[in-house]
Amino acid sequence: MTDQTAIQTEGLTKHYGETRALVDLNLEIRTGEIFGFLGPNGAGKTTAIRTILDEIRPTAGSASILGMDTHRESVEIRRHIGYVPGDLAMYPNLTGRDTLTYFANLRGGVDWAHVDSLADRLDADLTKKVGDLSSGNRQKVGLIQAFMNRPDVLIMDEPSSGLDPLVQREFQAMMGEVSAEGRTVFLSSHTLSEVQRVADRVGIIRHGRLIAVEAVAGLRSKAIRKVDLFFDDLVEATVFEPLPGVREVSVADHHVTLSFDGQMETLLKLVTERYHLLDITTHEADLEEIFLTYYRDEDGEA
Amino acid sequence: MLATVLTKTVRDRWKGIAIGGASLALTLLFAMSVYRDIDLTIYTEDLPEAFRKLFNISEDTDVGGLAYGAVYSTYGALTLAGITLAIGSASIAGEERNGTLGLLLGNPKSRTHVLVSKAGSLVLLALAGTLIMWGAGLVVPELLNVDVEELRIGALMVHMFTIALFHGFLAMAIGAWTGRGAVASATSAGVMIVSLFATGLLPLVEGFEGLAKIFPWYYYEGGDPLLNGVDWGHLSVLLAGSVILGGLAVYGVNRRDLRGQALGVTLLDRLRAFPLTQKIVDRLAGSTRVSRIWIKTASERQGVLIATSYAMLLMGAMIGPMYNLVEDALGSFADDFPDALLALVGNGDMGTAEGFYQVEIFGLMAPIAVMVVGVAIAARALAGEEERRTMGLLLANPITRSRIVLEKSLAMGLHAAVVGFITFAGAALGSLLGGLGMSMGNLAATSLLATLVGLVFGALALVLSAGTGRSRVAVFGAVGAGLIFHLLNAFLALSDSLAGLARWSPFYYYLTSDPLLNGMHWGHAAVLAVLTVGLVAVSVVLFQRRDLRQSG
Repeated sequence: MTDQTAIQTEGLTKHYGETRALVDLNLEIRTGEIFGFLGPNGAGKTTAIRTILDEIRPTAGSASILGMDTHRESVEIRRHIGYVPGDLAMYPNLTGRDTLTYFANLRGGVDWAHVDSLADRLDADLTKKVGDLSSGNRQKVGLIQAFMNRPDVLIMDEPSSGLDPLVQREFQAMMGEVSAEGRTVFLSSHTLSEVQRVADRVGIIRHGRLIAVEAVAGLRSKAIRKVDLFFDDLVEATVFEPLPGVREVSVADHHVTLSFDGQMETLLKLVTERYHLLDITTHEADLEEIFLTYYRDEDGEA
Repeated sequence: MLATVLTKTVRDRWKGIAIGGASLALTLLFAMSVYRDIDLTIYTEDLPEAFRKLFNISEDTDVGGLAYGAVYSTYGALTLAGITLAIGSASIAGEERNGTLGLLLGNPKSRTHVLVSKAGSLVLLALAGTLIMWGAGLVVPELLNVDVEELRIGALMVHMFTIALFHGFLAMAIGAWTGRGAVASATSAGVMIVSLFATGLLPLVEGFEGLAKIFPWYYYEGGDPLLNGVDWGHLSVLLAGSVILGGLAVYGVNRRDLRGQALGVTLLDRLRAFPLTQKIVDRLAGSTRVSRIWIKTASERQGVLIATSYAMLLMGAMIGPMYNLVEDALGSFADDFPDALLALVGNGDMGTAEGFYQVEIFGLMAPIAVMVVGVAIAARALAGEEERRTMGLLLANPITRSRIVLEKSLAMGLHAAVVGFITFAGAALGSLLGGLGMSMGNLAATSLLATLVGLVFGALALVLSAGTGRSRVAVFGAVGAGLIFHLLNAFLALSDSLAGLARWSPFYYYLTSDPLLNGMHWGHAAVLAVLTVGLVAVSVVLFQRRDLRQSG
């Protein structure tokens, strides 16, 4: 690939009457990267994807994939992409293999050995009718149809919905391999943890506006954690409040809950020096919390 | 407490009833104003008894009687019953197919309660349709100053309401027992058509007059309510039938497992699993079916195609021997037959085999059959694929939107051609069986013209489907246009001053040249073909320009 940009949007805007589904989206996704497109439900992720796939046409702005205009050269573009729509639906009366054959025919053939290896990795049953599959197993067929042509750009809208954790891990490995081969993955999601695990960079969208593009490493350092600490003594909130990165401390006898985005090491050092720590659990704050904390100003209305 | 299920169903379905009722009301207005301007003395003279029976015309009929008879008695009842049977078949089976029945039953409501609410909404909707037509039946003669004092429009409407109810409950019962909407609507529509024909024709056949009484339609028009008023005996047969069917529906829906998202096992699936047939069926149902968009599209809606083809084959084959049976009753009156009356059913001279075929098969049934398969596939082809959310996936492949429209219209043409050919085959078989010696060439020409005129409306459905992405709009729009254009053509031809306007109806180019007698009229065929191609082109343009819909 000589062109170093896989997907580019310039001022991409989509209005539905009064509703501004997408406002002035400027994105540049480099070839070979895994780009996470992150935002809460209804933020405009799907609208953006459907616009760059020419399913719907922008109110203003333009987009290109591999240097080709998404509207004028949409057919040529689609030779190079694989797509998993959000809320995937397929033909219920066809088997998985029939479905894949259909799309393979429309593309002029496919490497069936590759299809079988994908099916094997995802543990997908291609002999059953799609309508008889559970939603997770149906999703696997959708993933295979996106991966099977070894597309240069994979565009996936909430692709891991319904997949069990083992299959999710395999799927993440598959994305990693795509990226390692110099191909591009555009992955929309509403779960931070998934994107963090695989993506190089993340774009965060809310209310139709892109509010930040960050390297995942950067986002992780910003990630607020909820920390629960259990002690065998009674503890006081005042001990924790001065520590850098500590927010919202609440204490209930032996149990402290705090929001924390500082260095874990300093926190641990503090508690182990002062008290006898019995247990500690930490988990990621949800995306909404990060938005509220970091992107209040950019967003303008949160 | 059932109000929500009931009102929701009414809300989902009122449009079909309103559009159907309003179209019929408009058509009545139109028919009465045309009949008012033409000479009706022919009807008051000695019209043969057999014809009068066939078309429900009294000896001293007038403008009002003809218009009510022509627009309401058959078309009105077919439309109303058609809509109620669609509602009935969707009531349980439709929610099952959409996967919403489980959700509905997740609430503390029993299956019986849901079914009873659905039945209640069916009654309300049928009543609404009846009242719209009844109202128009009262207002239109006032407007046009036509005397209808002798006619019992109220009685006709009460009978129409019950026959519609009966078919609605029939479809609901079948849907409740099987959980399959298509089976329910196809079976009850089949019952409706067969009983309509049987009620019209059996009384003409010596020795079989009484047999008409086993068909529901007999209890709708057998007693001629428009002239004789309400026949309470007949009404109670239909009402009792409806109640029994309602009871069967309640029993049926309670006794079986609900269908999950899982699909039924078809004959094809069994053959695919059976070792001996596996290879060939696998190729047919698998790789061949999905090898092209048009082949995959043509493989859908097989149920509609098979049922329609079967009906046309059977009707065509039966109509020849049937002609032999009724020939004596019809033949001697050939010269007296009023053109004006027969305009509605295709201008056939019933005294000849050709005329009988034209009235019974080609006038209405053949174009309707082609329309049904054409509209079914066109509506599903684009709008259906959007509503089922598969269009995005299809369009992620390197193919243009125009190619999708064109391949889908090819599938539509294929279905239409199959039905057209079967219509020809059935009619030819009937001619052979009855020893009628009709011209095969002319039968083929007429079948081809029927295919083309049906395709025009299939293509119209494609336009609506491409333009709106809503299959219901496509179905209702195309069928409504078909009904209106057919009636326009029929009535305009009767009026000297307006006859020229009939050229604006596609149906003008179907039978005006009397192809059963004169053979192919290539000019008319060309008009229909160009019209179809033009409409397909419009759909291509519309589909290219539009945003795909988000979902159903």
